[in-house]
Amino acid sequence: MIEVVNLSKNFKKVTAVDQVNLYIEPGEIVGLLGPNGAGKSTTIAMLSTLISPTEGDVLLNQKSILKNPSDLRGVLGVVPQEIALYQDLTARENLQFFGSIQKMAKQVLNKRIDIVLEQIGLQNEPKKLVKHYSGGMKRRLNIGVAMLHEPKYLIMDEPTVGIDPQSRNHILKTVKTLNENSNMAIIYTSHYMEEVEFLCNRIYIMDKGRIIASGTKEEIKAVLSSENTVHVKLEYHSKGFVNDLLEQPMLSNINAKEGEITFTVAKGMDFLPMLLSLCEKNNVILKSFQVEEPTLEDVFLHLTGRALRN
Amino acid sequence: MFIALLKKQMKILFRSPSEVFTLFVMPIVLILILSYALGSIMGGDSEMTTIEMAIIHHGDEQEQFRNVINDLPPNLVLDQQAIDNIENSLPVSLLFEELTTDKEMQNLIHVTQLEGKSLAEVKENGDYDVVVEIPQNFTKEFLQAKFFNQEKPAFNVYLNESEQITSTIVKDLVDYFQLQYTLQSELSENNIQINNTALPSAQINSTIRTVDSLEEVTSSVYYTFSMAVMFMLFVAGTLAGQSFIEKNTHIFDRILLARIHLGTYLLSIIVSSVVFTLLQVLVLFSFSYFVFHISFARWELFLLLTIVFSLVIGAIAALLSSINYRSNSAGASNLFSTAIVAILAFFGGSYFNISSLSPFLAKVGMWTPNGAALDGYLTIAQNGSLSDLLPNITILSFLAVLFMLLAFLLFPKRGGIV
Repeated sequence: MIEVVNLSKNFKKVTAVDQVNLYIEPGEIVGLLGPNGAGKSTTIAMLSTLISPTEGDVLLNQKSILKNPSDLRGVLGVVPQEIALYQDLTARENLQFFGSIQKMAKQVLNKRIDIVLEQIGLQNEPKKLVKHYSGGMKRRLNIGVAMLHEPKYLIMDEPTVGIDPQSRNHILKTVKTLNENSNMAIIYTSHYMEEVEFLCNRIYIMDKGRIIASGTKEEIKAVLSSENTVHVKLEYHSKGFVNDLLEQPMLSNINAKEGEITFTVAKGMDFLPMLLSLCEKNNVILKSFQVEEPTLEDVFLHLTGRALRN
Repeated sequence: MFIALLKKQMKILFRSPSEVFTLFVMPIVLILILSYALGSIMGGDSEMTTIEMAIIHHGDEQEQFRNVINDLPPNLVLDQQAIDNIENSLPVSLLFEELTTDKEMQNLIHVTQLEGKSLAEVKENGDYDVVVEIPQNFTKEFLQAKFFNQEKPAFNVYLNESEQITSTIVKDLVDYFQLQYTLQSELSENNIQINNTALPSAQINSTIRTVDSLEEVTSSVYYTFSMAVMFMLFVAGTLAGQSFIEKNTHIFDRILLARIHLGTYLLSIIVSSVVFTLLQVLVLFSFSYFVFHISFARWELFLLLTIVFSLVIGAIAALLSSINYRSNSAGASNLFSTAIVAILAFFGGSYFNISSLSPFLAKVGMWTPNGAALDGYLTIAQNGSLSDLLPNITILSFLAVLFMLLAFLLFPKRGGIV
């Protein structure tokens, strides 16, 4: 098990990470959810032994690794947010290089390269230079390099940033399959709520350097268990309508984006007459509305007053 | 694992057309251009331009000599031997003789003695690189100074500054003549035998040495080596720049996570640089061997010097990488490639023979890695021995150790996002 205890990191006067505690057990997928700048990458860098914490400790099987990071590095695979690949090498050459520096035996390495290329869906283009790959292919190879040596723990720092939906789906499925088939524990950081919701058993929500909520999906959503989330679609956006909604005491967590508005309302509260009268008052045509159980996005909005992607 | 680091480095470098062009094609082009363009003033494969010197003598030296001897006071009696000695070492005749009788000097300087012409007229004419003006009673005053301890007269030398190299050579010659003449006079006055003491032939103080024991170098030889050492410096900047890309793209994090020791990583930069510079030298020297027929018969000395210089390049690459990593920018390697190489090339004599500007600068140049290496290559090309090469090897070894120590000291102990 890897544990992070009261971990903090200051960069001059800025506190990037503030007293973070988390753990990951073998075989589970843990999500680290938070907006950009929340401190996820800095936490990951400390967890991966790449930067020293200002305060706190990182434990592997209850043993601190700060002075001797070698043991943890031996069981880690890290997928950085950046494309950490040689652009002038092919996919196979990149895998060969990173496998060699992991001191993998030549025969084992060649076998693993074939398996990994298939897992990441690049088996048909292993001899193309990485610089000629699409963004999605690079992201997939970025993951392939990290899992080549079959680490016990795989840390993925926003592995789907800036790619097309098809590649994103492929990556999510690969990660899920990897965890199910190899029992590899995965820490997955993202600011995409739906990715974390799809993949992870347990979730930590981070904002402004601190963990603001943690637990299983159900536990976190229980924060809003007495409320429903309502999605409203309008014919066109109306500022006056949104302003009127903001004045309604029964509504909370109002988030308006063009013609779509989301808010939470206490279960059993009859909000429909109020909604219709506001539409009439502002000459707004209501296209549809939908009442749902709250999502992680709603929880984040509830906890921070901001949407994840703002 | 170490081999993997080297193989990766080589593949990346050879797949970059701009690097291959800069490190292999550019030096070849420059060797070609400079060898032909500057061949005329480098000697060897083409003759150096003859220096035109005019000597304007306003008086008759023999007449002045006779007058001084005749007018000697009665208490100063000279025997015939002493009179003959003085007559044989009259300064103006000796200077003229020195410049015109020596065969090597004849190839270098063409002397014209002008009678009855004014200095202004000759200077205005502009046909001469150097004008030596001997005043009217120069010999008379010179002899009187000798006998009666009066103030010694001076003659004037006018150098054409637009012909900097030839002017410098002549200035060296004249200074040397004055020094030797004074020395000989002093010896004579102190009754030390001078009959068999020949005036030593003048030497031109220059990094392209023409010392008797060493052969002359051609411009193609000079520029093969000067361009090679300059472009080998670029390898250090290139490799340090590439290593910073590894940090910037977090590839270095992956290398650290693979439990590669920082020392091993730095060592891989050094060894990659050495291997790359050896390949570079092989290509450049092969080119000059086939195109200019430059001899590398003493290959073992060339190899020794190249390996030591390559180690310096590796050490510079490691040092620049360390500074880049520490400052979290590629500034150090960029500055090195865009400015420092040019400065080192200037002081090291890659553009032209720096000693023609100043012997002091030439000494400074010997302490630049490329300057020491260039001087070493030229020494081997001029049939210098291993012992002639030792000062160069010593300087280069010192620089290699110094830069390596600094590189290992400055390299940050962790990677990651800082």
